[in-house]
Parts: sequence; C-alpha cells; structure tokens
Amino acid sequence: MPAPNLYDLRERFEKDRILLCFNGPISRSLIEEIGNALKNYLKSEQMSPACALDVFAAYIELTQNIRHYAASSQLSGAEVATVIVSYDEGCYRVSAGNIVKVEDGQALVERIDALSTLDKTELKALYKALYKAQLRKPRDENAVTGAGLGLIDMARKSSKPMEANVQMIDDDTAYFSLSIEI
Amino acid sequence: MKDLKIDGTVSSPNVRASWQEGTLYMEGDSYPENSYELYADVVAWVSQYLAQSTAPLNLELSLLYLNTSSIKVMMDIFDEMEEFFQQGRKVSVNWYFDEDNERVAELAEEFKEDCHFPFEIIGK
Repeated sequence: MPAPNLYDLRERFEKDRILLCFNGPISRSLIEEIGNALKNYLKSEQMSPACALDVFAAYIELTQNIRHYAASSQLSGAEVATVIVSYDEGCYRVSAGNIVKVEDGQALVERIDALSTLDKTELKALYKALYKAQLRKPRDENAVTGAGLGLIDMARKSSKPMEANVQMIDDDTAYFSLSIEI
Repeated sequence: MKDLKIDGTVSSPNVRASWQEGTLYMEGDSYPENSYELYADVVAWVSQYLAQSTAPLNLELSLLYLNTSSIKVMMDIFDEMEEFFQQGRKVSVNWYFDEDNERVAELAEEFKEDCHFPFEIIGK
C-alpha cells in the first residue's frame, strides 16, 4: 500500500478552509472530545461567545443526530460520520454526513427543504408548537419527532437555509449530508 | 425525602437539590445523548417535591448550552411547575447568565414565555 499523499490532503483542507475534520465511527466520547477541541479553538479565535455557542450547538446536533439515526435504523455503517467545521468569508460552516436508507435520506431532504421556506418567526412558532405537543409525553412517543425538533432548532440558528442532499450509493442506501452556516 | 446530588460531566450539569430549602440547583452544559435517563432523578425529585411538600420551590439555574432533548426535559419541568403555580403554589426560577453571552439569555427568555410564575433572567 502506498503512503497517503498528505500534502494533497492538506492542500484540499486549506482550499476548503477546513478547521476540523473527522471521518470514522462516531462515539459518545469522541463527540465530547472533538467538541472540546472545537470549543477551545473557537475561544482562541476570540469569536463572540454567542457565535461560538451556535457553532458548538450545530456540531452537537448534527453529530448526535447521526448517533441516534445509527441506533434507531440499525443500518450497518450508519455510525460512520464525516464531520467538517470550516470558516470562510466571515462565516462558520458545520457539515456532517453519513450513510442512510434511501427513503430516510429523501424524507429528511424534503423536511429540510420545507423548513427552508419558513422565516424565523414561522420556525419559532413551529418549534414551540412541536414542543408543546410533546410536553410530558412518555419517551417512546417522542422518539418519532425527536429529530424534527433538532432540525427546526438548526434551521433557526442557520444564517442561510440549511443545505441537505442525498447521493445514491446503491438501490437501498445513500449518503446523506447536511450543512449549516452560522 | 432525600436530597439530590449528581456531579456534572463534560456533557451534563452539576445538580443539587435540597428538600429542606426547596431549591434545585443546576449548573453547566447539558448535551447528553439520552437526557431522559440522565434527568429521570431530577424530574422525579421535582414531581415528588411539588406533590408531597407545600413549601415553595425555587430553581437556581446557571445552564449554558442545552441540546434538544435537554430543552425538552427543562420544558417538562417548567410545565409541571406551571401546573402547580396555577393551583396557587409558590414556584420560581432564577436563571443566571454571563452578560457576554446573550444566546443563553435568549434561550432562558424562550422558556420564560410559556411560564406565568416568577422567572428571572439575571446577567452577571
């Protein structure tokens, strides 16, 4: 096996202004460790605490969504996450992707596209209505719409509409990716 | 009834509850993967305190980042407090935030919108 061309990789990172990149099976402790590294980095960049919190929140929601999806779908390989935090033209971008069942990926993209047509006031109203519908309901009933709340929360924090897409891998599986700009 | 003491981790807050004082303290970030498991004791403590005691309940919160499921747990707790408040019980929340971070105040403000009991958001 030839040695990997690290220079090419580095050039790609520089070109895409990638600050942080992870690819592999994501675990609870990895999410925390990488999250800590991200927090420290954002602090050292002297960005405002509010903006740093938004970037951190996007990172946590995206990675935990992948963990939850991997657990609930039982799809082999779904826990292998690609996570990128990049910075360009004054904006931070958090992106994450993983393998999903085709129909799940398509449903997600539809949901996210629908959210992108709403303004911040409409998103807040939807968010509150969904929360209220779930108040003090048993846990398994929440599981159905749990991810929905996270998505609305992300749509509210995102400075531009979230970008989601699915890339077909084979008849049953696709690669789903979601990107949020703070 | 017992007091509650749950030590914080990177992803979960420090929790202290005193039955004698009628106070629940929570401090730190909260983004555990399964908030319902983590908070089962906290939710149960609040429920039992509200049901079994007649003394006031006060929450002293210095929470920073909450993930979606943590927000849901807090909403459940506030909703139960609201129910008792509507029946005449004294309940209150003090939510402290660092004035450099307005995002925390905005989060607290959204909770406050649905509560009619005294809910103070205090910058420091």
